Amino acid sequence: MSTPRPHDLLWGLPLSALPDDTPQWALQVVACGQPVVVRRAACADGWVAVGVRGQSRDQRLGTQMRLGDIQRLQSPEALRGCAPSPWPALQALASAAPVLDTCGLAWGPTGGVGYQLATGINVLHLASDLDLVLRAPHPLTRAKALELLDILDCAPCRIDVQLETPAGAVALREWAGCARRVLLKSPLGARLVSDPWAALECAA
Amino acid sequence: METLTFQFAAAEPGRGRTVVGCVSSGDLEVLIEPGTAGSLQIQVVTSVNGSGARWAQLFQRLFEGRQWPAVNIDIHDFGATPGVVRLRLEQGFEEIAP
Repeated sequence: MSTPRPHDLLWGLPLSALPDDTPQWALQVVACGQPVVVRRAACADGWVAVGVRGQSRDQRLGTQMRLGDIQRLQSPEALRGCAPSPWPALQALASAAPVLDTCGLAWGPTGGVGYQLATGINVLHLASDLDLVLRAPHPLTRAKALELLDILDCAPCRIDVQLETPAGAVALREWAGCARRVLLKSPLGARLVSDPWAALECAA
Repeated sequence: METLTFQFAAAEPGRGRTVVGCVSSGDLEVLIEPGTAGSLQIQVVTSVNGSGARWAQLFQRLFEGRQWPAVNIDIHDFGATPGVVRLRLEQGFEEIAP
């Protein structure tokens, strides 16, 4: 089993691992065997930070899972296939796929789209966005980011791309803009950095 | 969607106008522009319902008991954590600092 990365979906969290004050909706989600989503947060060895996802936006519960409890892991990259769909977010996925496939970087859907494709549970609605992760182990120029963003912005719904760098994640939209510093989400929290690929800056 | 407003005491009107942040899940967009002398006004439009108390607490810690320039702050929130909100506000004030 590969090491879980943010946005991966994990199956196998036992009900008994949830704290006593867990809300009813989250107990139900876990009892039904639905997956949890890996969060970007530091954890003790042998554990991974995960989130339980409910139906509404405010139904999100952060918890931790033992690596040993993972029965199945699905990464966003495994969820790229997409059948014709009435949902704009899934149509956007179909329109973005050829563009992203030619950029030479690994990518895949996250958020509601990833969750629905992985579980078959309908969480999307007409106003759903498409969230994507794009793995950028090496620096992507801001000009290249803007070029990519301009193409993706022609999709049938809003597309939010997180660039995953070795140091954390930055929004493609922000990296494509002109802000001197951009928000990097790292396992140690969020910080403003001028270079999202500079690991030293993130270790502060 | 929920719209919340807050007001704090402030000094003279700030100078300059800036937009920082990002319209993206877990993030927020912050517009800061000069306001009316003596008052710091904040309007938050958030995708997270029922979060009024959390915002009030965060702003009280940030803005109460310190002399801030009088500015109007417009926030479009897409489920940012308090840590991200603080960073974005810090970034915005940095941009308009003389």
